[in-house]
Amino acid sequence: MSQTIVIAHLYPREMNIYGDMGNIISLVKRLEWRGLRAEVRQVEIGEAFDWEAVDLVFGGGGQDSGQLAVGADLVRHGDKLREMAKAGVPMLVICGLYQLFGREFVTGGGDVIPGIGVFNANTRAGSVRMIGNVVAKNDELGALVGFENHSGATKLDKGQLPLAKVSKGCGNNPKSGYEGAVSGEAIGTYLHGPVLPKNPQLADKLLLAALKRRHGVQELQPLDSSFELAAAKVAATRPR
Amino acid sequence: MNVTLTLLASKTAAHLSQLLGRGGGGALPGVVAEMLDPHLSGKLAAGLSGGVIVVTGTNGKTTTTKLIGEILSAHGVKVVTNSSGSNLKRGVVSALIAAADMRGKMTATVGLFEVDEASLRLVAPEIKPTHIIVTNLFRDQLDRYGELDTTAKLIGEGIAATSAELYLNADDPLVASLAKYAGKPADVHYFGIEGVPVNPVGEHQTAIDSDRCPECHSRLEFSRVFYGHVGHYRCPKGDFSRPAGEVVITNVETADRMGSRFVAAIRGKRSTYDFPLPGTYNLYNALAAISLGQGVGIGVELIQQTLAVTQAAFGRVERVEIDGRTLVLLLIKNPAGFTQVLQTFVIGREAVRAMFVINDLAADGRDVSWLWDVPIEALAGSNPTVLTAGIRGSDMAMRLHYAGVKSTPAASLAEGIDALVAATPVGETAYILPTYTAMLEVRKLLQSRSKTMQEMPR
Repeated sequence: MSQTIVIAHLYPREMNIYGDMGNIISLVKRLEWRGLRAEVRQVEIGEAFDWEAVDLVFGGGGQDSGQLAVGADLVRHGDKLREMAKAGVPMLVICGLYQLFGREFVTGGGDVIPGIGVFNANTRAGSVRMIGNVVAKNDELGALVGFENHSGATKLDKGQLPLAKVSKGCGNNPKSGYEGAVSGEAIGTYLHGPVLPKNPQLADKLLLAALKRRHGVQELQPLDSSFELAAAKVAATRPR
Repeated sequence: MNVTLTLLASKTAAHLSQLLGRGGGGALPGVVAEMLDPHLSGKLAAGLSGGVIVVTGTNGKTTTTKLIGEILSAHGVKVVTNSSGSNLKRGVVSALIAAADMRGKMTATVGLFEVDEASLRLVAPEIKPTHIIVTNLFRDQLDRYGELDTTAKLIGEGIAATSAELYLNADDPLVASLAKYAGKPADVHYFGIEGVPVNPVGEHQTAIDSDRCPECHSRLEFSRVFYGHVGHYRCPKGDFSRPAGEVVITNVETADRMGSRFVAAIRGKRSTYDFPLPGTYNLYNALAAISLGQGVGIGVELIQQTLAVTQAAFGRVERVEIDGRTLVLLLIKNPAGFTQVLQTFVIGREAVRAMFVINDLAADGRDVSWLWDVPIEALAGSNPTVLTAGIRGSDMAMRLHYAGVKSTPAASLAEGIDALVAATPVGETAYILPTYTAMLEVRKLLQSRSKTMQEMPR
């Protein structure tokens, strides 16, 4: 019996824009290639969910209508997800769900959608759409490449760590120069692309954290990453 | 500014561009004219006594426009159209300029334009469409418009600026919901499919783009899905449901990679159509053309005859003979179209030979993440010969790798074509799936090698 980890996929029907499903494919495949197994369980609006078995949490971005419906449902799981983040369960949330993992999202009309506060950050709908290729540097992971597409401007509280320093693109907001947020093993980002296939070191970081907690695994078997590196190399050279 | 002077300047620009070897200038005359007189298109379109037809939506604009143009021409109507696919406002203006004499008198009686989804609201107030067709709404180059709901609103604004008859795809909930922008309910005509054989792509379905009730945002219930979110649906709370079609395909008798034979009913009266463009997505294009054709009073027989002999638009199921092999060009622009093309031509076929050419220029969409919304996994297991090329060929190669499909990167597009031809036995077929700008490059390379290939329209 190969070692298995359980991935909770947050609201895949509503939050699946810009190829974010590719992140799940990346996680599953990178386990399979190492003789390990993933079980993906979907978190759906209005349905009960058992968090106890979950080793890794993933959520993507969505359209506005989807995000409204998801925002109202996510608060049900807020206490649990905050507790899991504190306990070191690896998480990756992108764009719309990154915003909802902050404290609150203020829409263009001034409505406040409460977030679950895994990150000490607020997001405000803006008039500037931040669209284009992004390169951002993280000290541990190196250069991360992706594509951002958002008008929400996220502001991190003092003391909240960003994910990376932007060298191309906007990131959290047009002014900050930083991209994403990190709290322990929980990562929020605006990077689509999708982010994990082209940044396999980030995928492996999440997987190792999950395997360590569940199975005591100390290191991952290395994989040939030539496809990933070739794609990332080209992505980094594309115009903004 | 005086119409004649504007026309003189813009037509001169087109001639100069041609002399300089930059082609017919495509949208250039429109750009020049727009600077001199932003209302020129309205002045010229006012001279189209037979009306102005506009086709918009994500997929199928070019093909639907082409089919309608052929039906109108067969009926003896002189049509002005933007057949080069330049579908922003300047492209429409350029087409109008080309069809106007120096005094602004139109040489055509009917305008027929494909118009980009976001441009409709800029174009419609000027050229005042009398008929608007909306094909479907899928995620497409969202880096341009943001989101699908936004795109629907933009189209709605365009519709609201006219008193046009609307021809809407009943099977696409977001398209059907555009009826609310019509001047009066009697102006709305729906077309749809009752039944069609569906070739499953396996468990990796494409992401559903729009499965929410346009009224209350409840999740719609689908009794049938033809592809993506196109099918038969109803809101569980009763706020919205698929409207009955005036023109519907009741039965598809045969469907293969060479085309379909189907039965369509116009208000209950059935006729059989032979249609050489394969795939469910092309059935919708035919339906849109039949709906519009009968709507403007053209007889069924003439529509049948025209559809039976039509050919695909450039780069869309375009067949090219090279050294005894057939290469089929299948333009891919977004997950829905890519999936349809895979379903129709590639999946389930023995000895698949295909090259994916992925660019990320503005006309392709800068963001290539959509490749992950396509169920390429369905190719795994058939041991296909797959090549990748284009600016983002490495993204496609990685996508294939994660789908369990082996592929070989081509050093260049030209070498990729050579390798594809070499891998294809004489008398057999191979497929090239390019994004938009990649399609233009592929055509250019093939043009020098094939006698059967036509020039792109200008």
